[in-house]
Amino acid sequence: MPSLLLEIGAEELPAAACREAETQLPDLARAHIGAAPSQLFVGPRRVGFLINDLAERTADEWVKGPPENLRDKAAAGFAKKHGVNVEELELRDGFLGITVPGRRLREVLPEQIDRIVRGFSFTRSMRWDESGIRFARPVRWVLAKLDDETIVGETSFGHRFTHGAVAIPSAAGYVNALRAADVEPVAEERRREIVEGLDAIGGWSDPGGKLDEVVHLVEKPIVLEGRFDERFLQLPERVIVTTMQSHQRYFPIERTRFAVVSNGGEPEVVIAGHTQVLEARLEDATFTFERDLATGIDALAERLASITFFTGAGSFAEKAARVAKLVERLGGGEASLEAARLAKADQGSELVREFPELEGYIGAEYARLAGYPDGVTKAIEEQYLPDSSGGPLPQTEPGKVLAAADKLDTLQTAFELGHRPSGSRDPYGLRRAAIGLVRLALEGGLTIERDLLQREVGEFVEERLESLLDVPVEYVRAARASSAPDLGAVARRAQELYRERETPAFEGVYTAYERAHRLAGKAQDEAAEQLDRALLVEDAEKALAEALATVAIDGNGDLQAALESGAELAPVMERFFDEVLVMAEDDAVRANRLRLLLDVRDALGALGDFSQIPR
Amino acid sequence: MTSEVVEAAARSIDATAEEQATRSHCEASLRKCDTPEAVNYQEMIIALERYWADYGCVLAQPYHTELAAGTMNPNTFLRSLGPKPWNVAYVEPVIRPLDGRYGENPFRFQHYFQYQVVLKPAPEDVLDLYWASLEALGIDLRKHDMRLVEDDWEQPTLGAWGLGWEVWCDGMEITQWTYFQQLGGFDVELVPAEMTYGLERLAMFLQGKRTAFELEWAPGVTWGEVYREAEREWSRYNFEEAPVEVLTRRFQEHEAECRHLLEVGLPIPAYDQVLKCSHTFNLLDARGALSVTERAAYIGRVRRLARGVAEAYLEAQGENAVAAA
Repeated sequence: MPSLLLEIGAEELPAAACREAETQLPDLARAHIGAAPSQLFVGPRRVGFLINDLAERTADEWVKGPPENLRDKAAAGFAKKHGVNVEELELRDGFLGITVPGRRLREVLPEQIDRIVRGFSFTRSMRWDESGIRFARPVRWVLAKLDDETIVGETSFGHRFTHGAVAIPSAAGYVNALRAADVEPVAEERRREIVEGLDAIGGWSDPGGKLDEVVHLVEKPIVLEGRFDERFLQLPERVIVTTMQSHQRYFPIERTRFAVVSNGGEPEVVIAGHTQVLEARLEDATFTFERDLATGIDALAERLASITFFTGAGSFAEKAARVAKLVERLGGGEASLEAARLAKADQGSELVREFPELEGYIGAEYARLAGYPDGVTKAIEEQYLPDSSGGPLPQTEPGKVLAAADKLDTLQTAFELGHRPSGSRDPYGLRRAAIGLVRLALEGGLTIERDLLQREVGEFVEERLESLLDVPVEYVRAARASSAPDLGAVARRAQELYRERETPAFEGVYTAYERAHRLAGKAQDEAAEQLDRALLVEDAEKALAEALATVAIDGNGDLQAALESGAELAPVMERFFDEVLVMAEDDAVRANRLRLLLDVRDALGALGDFSQIPR
Repeated sequence: MTSEVVEAAARSIDATAEEQATRSHCEASLRKCDTPEAVNYQEMIIALERYWADYGCVLAQPYHTELAAGTMNPNTFLRSLGPKPWNVAYVEPVIRPLDGRYGENPFRFQHYFQYQVVLKPAPEDVLDLYWASLEALGIDLRKHDMRLVEDDWEQPTLGAWGLGWEVWCDGMEITQWTYFQQLGGFDVELVPAEMTYGLERLAMFLQGKRTAFELEWAPGVTWGEVYREAEREWSRYNFEEAPVEVLTRRFQEHEAECRHLLEVGLPIPAYDQVLKCSHTFNLLDARGALSVTERAAYIGRVRRLARGVAEAYLEAQGENAVAAA
């Protein structure tokens, strides 16, 4: 049983393309070779696989033709189409047909391999010549070996700069031949070597998650340690880390030490070069940093009047003023007010222009260096949190308040300008802001009064609760209609309603609400404006009015107690419906009865809109 | 500009004795292991010219109006369209008003140089040709950590994009490498390879210098001596003096002229007006005169012009314009 090696040699593939190829290779192998690979090769200059124990021939194929009873009409045509005589057709399960014998593997491989090369689907692909092939980068060679026989191509190629063409003796000998030519074709092995090298140095970190990319940036990993000059330690730490990780794909160790994974070269030369590049970048950042410091955070804050937040939404200075007002309304103290004043100052800094991903953090560092207390600087740093659906929340109270105020302002301002997100278009990140706001209330325990949110914004934000809470949406909708005063209370109400949904008290309230709502809800226009006790005639309706006056339904209090109290109305309601004809002939009496039912519904409705909940 | 800022700048440029010691150590170690002797800036350019002329490129010259990238030179942008093969190489001064730092920051300039090579169609061994050009500069590829790091290129004002890399030499980006896929909104017919060498960075690497100002341009003359004063003055112009109202008007005039030239069938002169629009936009941007939405609108206007030029250029060549993507 032979082994098949396939290697597709490409110009340097991006890491993302390598990962896509890694996912697709097994499926392509199964689809076009009919077997699963025993080993994958994925890296910047080659992707491929090894398949062991392939059958020498492809399987025979049964081609079904016309049913036997149409032999006279259709058999000749079918036979002709397949180049056989009618007598040669076989009969199987009532159908005529032919068996197409399997072919020798080496005969079918070239076309199947071509299908594999053309079968990849990359998120970003290109063309480079007239072949019509699309790939993530140009394909420069293809090599296929069936054991020691070369089926497609001629040779492989070793490390770009130390080895040229490499003869591959056999499919099974591929890996060793490449290793001898300074190439590690197995991604997992490269990763292992990198981690081993980093561990040997010790203390390395990868806060930006660059390892996955670095594995596909090298064919022959060599881990080297470098050190930059102490004087750069004056820079904010994350500026250094971002420079190392995002720009250079280095791994920070501690203080001035860092690790580089190189693709070859002489270690002494390579590390000297990398160190020089890193220092030049840090020098550049230092230059910007010192200019900002010379300006100072308070002066930076004053520049905000000339920087536009977004068109129609005024300047960052105006935004800061709006945020400060919201901070007050959210009950923020002195630290959060001071933080609000300085929160956007770094938008006027040069360092944020260079490191936009560090907005907030850079402002916090500048505030710290200017001597502002921790409460203020932490809040500035945390103002954009949470910045993803699962991301961490601010840890400090001023941070939570500022983060909520910032999101609220962005939402209200954008909505006022008509930038409501539609479909997948959400250029101002309003969904993320709304989810952040809700999480600050739910997980952060921040009280965000519903009155603070303009109507449309309130609806948009509360709709997020439907996907964030672990209860059926109907309960969230019911709770949103309750008199719960803040976002957290709405969420708790939804959870409580769901929890209590099978208790007798819930049942009683639910039924009372439903009956009142069903009868009177549609006749709202006919109802009297106010209940007139003098118009109550029947005992049962007098009893209901009395009971309604005595039940204590605190829409904001303990739901269980409120439900039990509300449930007392259930028997009185039942009697009412048994004994009283609501749709009385007398207009005034009818209007009064409708009002009584609506009052019952609204009293219970403080607990939630029960009509949302299906039974 | 406060005096403190200037002092801070001076401090970072005027390194202490200790730093200089580290620096010369670095230089020594680079020189020791690397090129036999560091070539100066002009010799480096001459070496590249020689190499690409020998390959068969037309050695073109810089364009006569401000460009933000060598790609915008019609020798790249227009010639990359259509079915005619074209190999060209040239030095291009690039003008990026927003990047000026008054000659104070030794790493940022509003005016610097690219060496641009376009091979259309890209030959199969195009990467090998590129690596050999580095060897022609004296770089021993086996001693260094050479890498191609994904960097897809997009120029919204030209409706252009391509896939490619940054070329890293021991972590320094020395070349921007692109296979064009679309220009002016049109799919390219023959895929060109574009290699844009960053001459300052390449020279910093070759000469083992930490900043562009220190580069030796010619024997005894530094890059800083040639251009530093110009950086100072142009930065003042770009950030402080460029007349916003005049520029706004000029943009409209260039735009109208471009349209007119397209109507009368002169795509090549019309393209100059696109370039002038683009530079005028960059100046307005540097003056902080544009809000985010205004920026987007201006970019859209330049893109429409570039698209019109690409279309007219293809037509003028008597070719069937490929369907717009």
